[in-house]
Amino acid sequence: MLMGRTKPPIYGLLAEFDTPARLVAAAERARKEGYRCMDAYAPYPVEGLAEALKFHHTRVPLITLIGGIVGGLAGYFMQYWIAAINYPLNIGGRPLHSWPAFIPVTFELTILGAALSAVLGMLGLNGLPMPYHPVFHVPRFALASRDRFFLCVEATDPKFDRQTTQRFLESLDSRGVFEVPH
Amino acid sequence: MIEPAAYMPGPEMNRLQWRALWIGVAVLGVCILGAFRSPAQFFHSYLLAFLFWTGMALGCLAIAMLHHLTGGSWGMVIRRLLESGSRTLPLMALLFVPLFFGRHWIYSWTRPMNLPRQQLEYLDVRFFLTRAVLYFVVWLALAHWLGKWSHEQDRTGDRRLLRKMQWLSGPGLVLYGLTGTFAAVDWMMSLEPRWYSSIFGLLIIGGQVLSAMAFVIVVLVLLTAYQPLGRVLQPRHMHNLGKLLLAFVMVWAYLSFSQLLIMWSGNLPEEIPWYLHRLEGGWRWVGVLLILFHFALPFFLLLSRDLKRTGPKLALLAMLVVVMRMVDLFWLTAPEFSPGRFHIHWMDIAAPVGMGGVWLAVFAWHLKTRPLLPVGDPYLAVVLEGEHE
Amino acid sequence: MGAEGPRLPTAAERRRPPVIGPGHTFATVTDKISTIVLTRPTTPGWLAGFLVSFSLMMLLFYAIGYLLLEGVGVWGINIPVGWGFAIVNFVWWIGIGHAGTLISAILLLLNQKWRTSINRFAEAMTLFAVASAGLFPLLHLGRPGLFYWLLPYPSTMGVWPQFRSPLVWDVFAVSTYFTVSLLFWFVGLIPDLATLRDRAETRAARILYGILAMGWRGSAMHWHRYQTAYLLLAGLAAPLVVSVHTVVSLDFAVGIIPGWHSTIFPPYFVAGAIYSGFAMVLTLAIPLRAAYGLEDFITMRHLENMAKVMLATGLIVAYGYAMELFMAWYSGNTYEGFTAWNRIVGPYWPAYWALILCNVVIPQLLWFKRVRTKVPVLFVLSLTVNLGMWLERFVIVVTSLHRDFLPSSWGMYTATRWDWAVFVGSMGLFLTLLFLFIRFLPMISIFEMRELVSETEAGSSD
Repeated sequence: MLMGRTKPPIYGLLAEFDTPARLVAAAERARKEGYRCMDAYAPYPVEGLAEALKFHHTRVPLITLIGGIVGGLAGYFMQYWIAAINYPLNIGGRPLHSWPAFIPVTFELTILGAALSAVLGMLGLNGLPMPYHPVFHVPRFALASRDRFFLCVEATDPKFDRQTTQRFLESLDSRGVFEVPH
Repeated sequence: MIEPAAYMPGPEMNRLQWRALWIGVAVLGVCILGAFRSPAQFFHSYLLAFLFWTGMALGCLAIAMLHHLTGGSWGMVIRRLLESGSRTLPLMALLFVPLFFGRHWIYSWTRPMNLPRQQLEYLDVRFFLTRAVLYFVVWLALAHWLGKWSHEQDRTGDRRLLRKMQWLSGPGLVLYGLTGTFAAVDWMMSLEPRWYSSIFGLLIIGGQVLSAMAFVIVVLVLLTAYQPLGRVLQPRHMHNLGKLLLAFVMVWAYLSFSQLLIMWSGNLPEEIPWYLHRLEGGWRWVGVLLILFHFALPFFLLLSRDLKRTGPKLALLAMLVVVMRMVDLFWLTAPEFSPGRFHIHWMDIAAPVGMGGVWLAVFAWHLKTRPLLPVGDPYLAVVLEGEHE
Repeated sequence: MGAEGPRLPTAAERRRPPVIGPGHTFATVTDKISTIVLTRPTTPGWLAGFLVSFSLMMLLFYAIGYLLLEGVGVWGINIPVGWGFAIVNFVWWIGIGHAGTLISAILLLLNQKWRTSINRFAEAMTLFAVASAGLFPLLHLGRPGLFYWLLPYPSTMGVWPQFRSPLVWDVFAVSTYFTVSLLFWFVGLIPDLATLRDRAETRAARILYGILAMGWRGSAMHWHRYQTAYLLLAGLAAPLVVSVHTVVSLDFAVGIIPGWHSTIFPPYFVAGAIYSGFAMVLTLAIPLRAAYGLEDFITMRHLENMAKVMLATGLIVAYGYAMELFMAWYSGNTYEGFTAWNRIVGPYWPAYWALILCNVVIPQLLWFKRVRTKVPVLFVLSLTVNLGMWLERFVIVVTSLHRDFLPSSWGMYTATRWDWAVFVGSMGLFLTLLFLFIRFLPMISIFEMRELVSETEAGSSD
């Protein structure tokens, strides 16, 4: 919630659409209208939807890259430290710092670090797991995981007004507009 | 039918052909003068040049067949370049003749040597020549038929030609795999008789495909400065080619490292000398150069989506890969002639450049005779409209 | 572009069956796949299959119990053949797992739409195959309870794993592989778990799927990050899968045993893994699509493409055999030459020739379209390849070991009934897990099928 404001009486308004194209068009219109606190819901990743809502950047690749680099460096130096410093041991006359032999484990740990960071980063940025979310109060929302597309304008939006926003959403070729309680 | 005339290359191709030819002939001429001073060095450098440009032609042939089998828009935009590249093979067959006559300066096994019986049987001059003839017959036949059908397709747009090319490409790739492997054994592995490595054929084939991929990317980007490709090519085409370049760079690194790791770990007297020759006395730094610029730098840069979609940047990187392919072949062959002591001669650069000039002239000559895109291919329109990546 | 292009060839003209049957909408794909899990009653067929698998799994547990009580002496391993069935089965299972990752990761990166209806179940196959595979080295340790000695942890003994040994690389490779496969599979499942949560009819199912779905609500921002992460995972899994079987091959190739120490091993093992993996996908997909009426989703085109991949990888495997033989001859190395010859005419010649027949000769039939499009023939061929790839590992492991450098140390290896019990039992474990998966999770990725529907509706050509 925004600070210094009282909590709005409802979470927002949810409009239902029956095709992805209508949802994208509606998101674009709402954006043009000046709405900013919005989210769209779809049963699959709809092309162009993130762009319509101006979600461009995601930090997931950066997090993954950092995870991979950390995993790889940690893997290599762990082996170096163990084999050359902490417990030096002559194995078949190979050098203590046997860099070719250290590559496979370094590689595996790079991948492991990157993969864990990608998944945890994605979940973390998405705020999942999230046990409770208001949109689930709307019974029709169950169809968001089947064949329906939803646009939710949240009440925290400065332009949000219970009546005008409702009229605006109804004008967007939607199949229905529902109130989302907290 | 798309109008073929709209896709014919402009006069710049003619200029390229003649310039390349004159430069090539001039540089090769200087090399021949050098041959009188040191024939051994001439043939060492000549081998490098021959392996590099034959590999380029074969890589083009292999990628073309791969494209016929898998389809995809990535191959459609480079198909003409690949075909022109593979149709330089008659030139390479011709250029094999001096190599054969210079064999005494190149291959130690042509002199009496204490070798295992099997190697004496395999590395017999007549058998060596027979095999070389066989390789070229196979390669020329594949390049010829694929080129011919592709040309017919331009004129008629016949659907059956597509099937025919597909039909030939499966067995064609099998044949290429076998002949490419044995050619690598004959021409490169036998530089150090006694040494053997069962991955070597794949390593060389992987290198050839990588060379060809990098080369066609460079040419394609240069051609976008002119019509018709300038109006056809889009970032997504470059993106796909960049992805493939990345994949082939990784395959090369994978195969090279596999061989190193296994031989380094085994440390057997019949295997490890090959690496010792390449890791001592200055050669080590060539190896480091390979790790950095043949693998690390291209790998990390090609991870960037932006770079793959920007033609000039991608071409610059591909150019680096082409140069590093040459360095790799130098590292694979030259240390045999000077084990344990780094040695490079001006002809090691001049011979590949000279031969490259002639090769490029033939390449441009083939390229200018046909439309730059396979206009008779029924899928071309899909590629141009670009409904999907 | 402006050029007057020719009319695009239609699907019929191209004579390529589509990747999804006609007439499907978002709702029909959702319902068709989710009802298998949610409303369809347990069929007698499923029950029978599950019971058979479950009893085989019980056999596995029994054999493991006996093994733990008596020790690895109950197996046929001896000196010189210290690596018997345990390693053969390990390599076989892990190879089978590779097709799953390949289908989901590499085909995703290559933008191959046909992967969509088989990737989920292929990924599940990967997980269960890796689980079955991991069992064998653990049991082969002799004292499985001490497996943690393989991990680098600061122990009171002050010693560490030996990082120049491929067996230690294996620990990292296989555990990373299992973890990343699990992540990939689970991330792929999240949106479908949300679908099941929203459509579940019982409260227990709703709560269970709800917990697993972690509150997924299909938000556009979430999808955006989700797709990025999914693609990144695919990009990571593709080189990973190559590295895993490479490390498995290095278990052999890094040592200097004749017949094992060969540089072709990494690429040829990777190709072999994909080969056997695709064979196993076919072996499982053909009965599944018939039993659940999924012919619309797993179409002829899928089967044919998989057959083509099998043909290609099978040829690489054949190339590997040829190179091994050629180099054994060309090198003039007595030991290499003897090992190769001994494989062909030695005491284990039937295994060698059977493997050549199953892996090289018979699969050449796949060159013919008529063979690739005949479902029963494909099914038999896939079984042949599964068998052939198992024999290949048997030949590699046993023939190289049973003839040592010193003829006085030569020996023979025969599997005991406990070897067979563990092997057959591991199939029980694999199948049990697979049956549970089919019953409780959507075996085809629902959200990706919706994507496919959206593209066919848009009139896109492929």
